[in-house]
Amino acid sequence: MLSLRDVSVQYGNYTAIQNINIEVRSGEIVVLLGANGAGKSTTFRTISGLNKPATGDIFFEGSSICSLTPDKIVKAGIVQCAEDRKLFPEMSVQENLMMGAYVHRRKKKEIKHTLEEVFELFPILHEKRNQAAGSLSGGQQQMLAIGRALMSKPELMLLDEPSIGLAPLIVEQMFESIQQINQDGTTILLAEQNAHAALSIANKGYVYENGNIVVEGSSKELFANEEVRKAYIGA
Amino acid sequence: MDVLFQQLFNGLTVGSVYSLVALGLTLVYGILHIPNFAHGALYMVGAYITYTMMTSLGLHYVFAIVVSIISVGLISVLMERIVFHPLRDSTPIQHKVAAIGVLLFLEALAHYIWGADYQQMVTPYGQVIEVFGLTLTMQRILIVVTAIVAMILLYLFLKKTYTGASIIAMAQNREGAHLMGINTNKVAMLTFFIAGVLAALGASLTSPINLVFPSMGHLVILKAFVIIIIGGMGSIPGAILGGYILGFSESIGATYISSDYSDIIAFVLLIIILTIKPQGIFAKGEA
Repeated sequence: MLSLRDVSVQYGNYTAIQNINIEVRSGEIVVLLGANGAGKSTTFRTISGLNKPATGDIFFEGSSICSLTPDKIVKAGIVQCAEDRKLFPEMSVQENLMMGAYVHRRKKKEIKHTLEEVFELFPILHEKRNQAAGSLSGGQQQMLAIGRALMSKPELMLLDEPSIGLAPLIVEQMFESIQQINQDGTTILLAEQNAHAALSIANKGYVYENGNIVVEGSSKELFANEEVRKAYIGA
Repeated sequence: MDVLFQQLFNGLTVGSVYSLVALGLTLVYGILHIPNFAHGALYMVGAYITYTMMTSLGLHYVFAIVVSIISVGLISVLMERIVFHPLRDSTPIQHKVAAIGVLLFLEALAHYIWGADYQQMVTPYGQVIEVFGLTLTMQRILIVVTAIVAMILLYLFLKKTYTGASIIAMAQNREGAHLMGINTNKVAMLTFFIAGVLAALGASLTSPINLVFPSMGHLVILKAFVIIIIGGMGSIPGAILGGYILGFSESIGATYISSDYSDIIAFVLLIIILTIKPQGIFAKGEA
């Protein structure tokens, strides 16, 4: 479905990621593991078209998306839920969700239907639908960010550290929701530091270090890998 | 008492024009994140185009305004494309310098085309009517009604349409808007167009009761800055309310204090409000 081939990205002279190769197949949950600054978010920004790769190419369902602008990439079916959530803080929860459906803005009925589905997945958003997004708690904001991304009915959802800064109980719920979204038919590429939780729902994973992928394999293989266990799972 | 009501109505007239200009400035602030100094020049060009359409082509005042607001809207879009868009990844100071550059350019252009003389714009709505003992001119009623209609239309556009909401979304989080599939280039151009339209409309409405000259935008834009600072940078209700607060304060101040000081009132007001509420009345949160 999505494949990155030898992608490198530079910020000025600094190479943020180097020769990255990633394969995501339809229906999978794929996780990118790695410390802060290892290049996970840069990879996401590049897939979404906010950064342009210096070398390499990105294919989505067989065609290159490297030359597309971010809005065209959303239309093609890839949506990103960024690490800092990027909500519209003064808009209400419902207005934020409606903006998520921007690419489908002419299909009013479908939007209404998707909105109901999102409210079903995150009932708290329905309860708080008239509150400003900026007034929500961290966990609720993350749910809103995911819900807003779902409103574009993506084929592939990029989730950048959805568990960051959340209480353990909320993190557990968050991963359950992610699994639910995947079962409902959305392919997921997930960046996480919480390796244990992420690998337990993922099909396979890639481990980042200093802008390179150092280990890759199925979840089982990564769980069994001694170095990965030491560095990211801590057991 | 009559004097008070008369002055309140004058305040409403002046405030309407201030609000229109400040609205454009505050909308563009959401895109550029700096106050667009060239906005006052768009206001001035708007007045001149209306004036020229009436005197050279003999168009009716209303049609002249239509030509003017569309032209200035397009000039504003052109300014976004050739000046601000190429600077989108640079620092705020470069935006500010560029904005001042555009201001100087447009003023010099106005000097070149129309000369430095003060021009009088004649309105077909000069009739004087009496309402409830107040003496009003049709022109002033036209200003108030048109401005309020324009503001209601703008409000409905921003609140009720996807395209309008994308302007607000982009002001609140540019990358967030981009990641939701909003074409931020189109939104930026649309925002500049609306700002140009509002500036030209304000200028064309108020010109018959003032004068048209190359530096006519200076005082107005300074006051529009005061308004959006008072109202909270980027806030739309703040720009409207701030415009009227300033309009009323000026006309009341001019009557009861001294008309010589009417222009200074804006700045006294600014100092007082910034002392009490430094973020402005409709201040935005941290985000």
